[in-house]
Amino acid sequence: MVQFNLPANSKVEKGKYYKDNTGSKNIRKVNVYRWDPSKNENPRLDTYEVDMDNCSSKVLDVLNKIKNEIDPSVAYRRSCAHGVCGSCAMNMNGKNGLACTKAHSELDGDIDIYPLPHLKVLKDLIGDLSTLYKQYESVEPWLKTSKVNHKENIQTKDDRAKLDGLYECIMCACCSTSCPSYWWNGEKYLGPAVLLQAYRWIIDSRDEDRKERLKKVADELKLYRCHTILNCTNACPKGLNPAKAIAEIKKMLATA
Amino acid sequence: MENNNPLSPHIQIYNWHISSLVSISHRVTGIINFFTITLIGLWIASLLLGEQNYAFTSLFLTSFFGKFACLGIIWSFTFQIFSEIRHLIMDLGYGFEQKTTQITGLIVLIGPFPTTILIFLIGQHLL
Repeated sequence: MVQFNLPANSKVEKGKYYKDNTGSKNIRKVNVYRWDPSKNENPRLDTYEVDMDNCSSKVLDVLNKIKNEIDPSVAYRRSCAHGVCGSCAMNMNGKNGLACTKAHSELDGDIDIYPLPHLKVLKDLIGDLSTLYKQYESVEPWLKTSKVNHKENIQTKDDRAKLDGLYECIMCACCSTSCPSYWWNGEKYLGPAVLLQAYRWIIDSRDEDRKERLKKVADELKLYRCHTILNCTNACPKGLNPAKAIAEIKKMLATA
Repeated sequence: MENNNPLSPHIQIYNWHISSLVSISHRVTGIINFFTITLIGLWIASLLLGEQNYAFTSLFLTSFFGKFACLGIIWSFTFQIFSEIRHLIMDLGYGFEQKTTQITGLIVLIGPFPTTILIFLIGQHLL
């Protein structure tokens, strides 16, 4: 049976309140999910008053400002800050996205920042994605070909175009962790991110393992737990469409 | 070793989208329909037991509560039909663009209400 409630040790409690000390008139409240693995406490929601007059445009800038100027103990992943690495994926005001490409002006009211949903938390905003990486490995995301020539492996323009909307995926996990099916069956269902990657290799004209790949993914739990809820497509910060990729796999299996 | 780290909040914090609302309503109406069809089957079977049983069911169905239940059932069935048509089109690989899913989702969410009224009116005039 699916567990809708959070386990007792995961209930979010009220946290500390950090009052603004800059005297700014343009204050915004930012609520951040906090959990410290070195303490035996429940997660809490800390509130920071942030001076928005001296803050750049993205949610990541807000977090950096908090970390630099208010509370250096906040932990979160970030690297490129340009929507390319996918490190700063998190849940902002109830929707997954990349903190570095999400403008805080697009969010209404107080800003609520949580880690990606339904993951084991490692610290503060950092979730444990090891299951997802294992599943990614299971689809063998590399080219399988018998050709051993040392020249280019040529593809027609049309075949190359089939990879558009797939190769851009940065594996930030925004889609998979937005998917209720993945929340309830995360161990068995591969989830949108991994299935989009699986489709990327299935559809690649240079890959010779298409049949095997399809056979491997054709599973009641691995694939067909997708009920086209479409949270994945709504969440994708790169504007890709994992739901369509999954539908294409289902279609290939049905018409094969 | 058991992982005792907390689980990050999920359904508690995640926003509802049109498409996720359609999906959960599809499931709920599916369960309602499953029981409804069973009940309709039992009702028809009870006819075989004689006029009295028919009169009893009829009394229930023409009562205010019975009519309300009937309307609910019609809504639930029409919702399934709308949603299934959307699913069929999607299974063919169409209608996955964000805008399209929102429009078709809205049609599925709103459409069953006028359809229910229409079926109710048709039923009233035929009887």
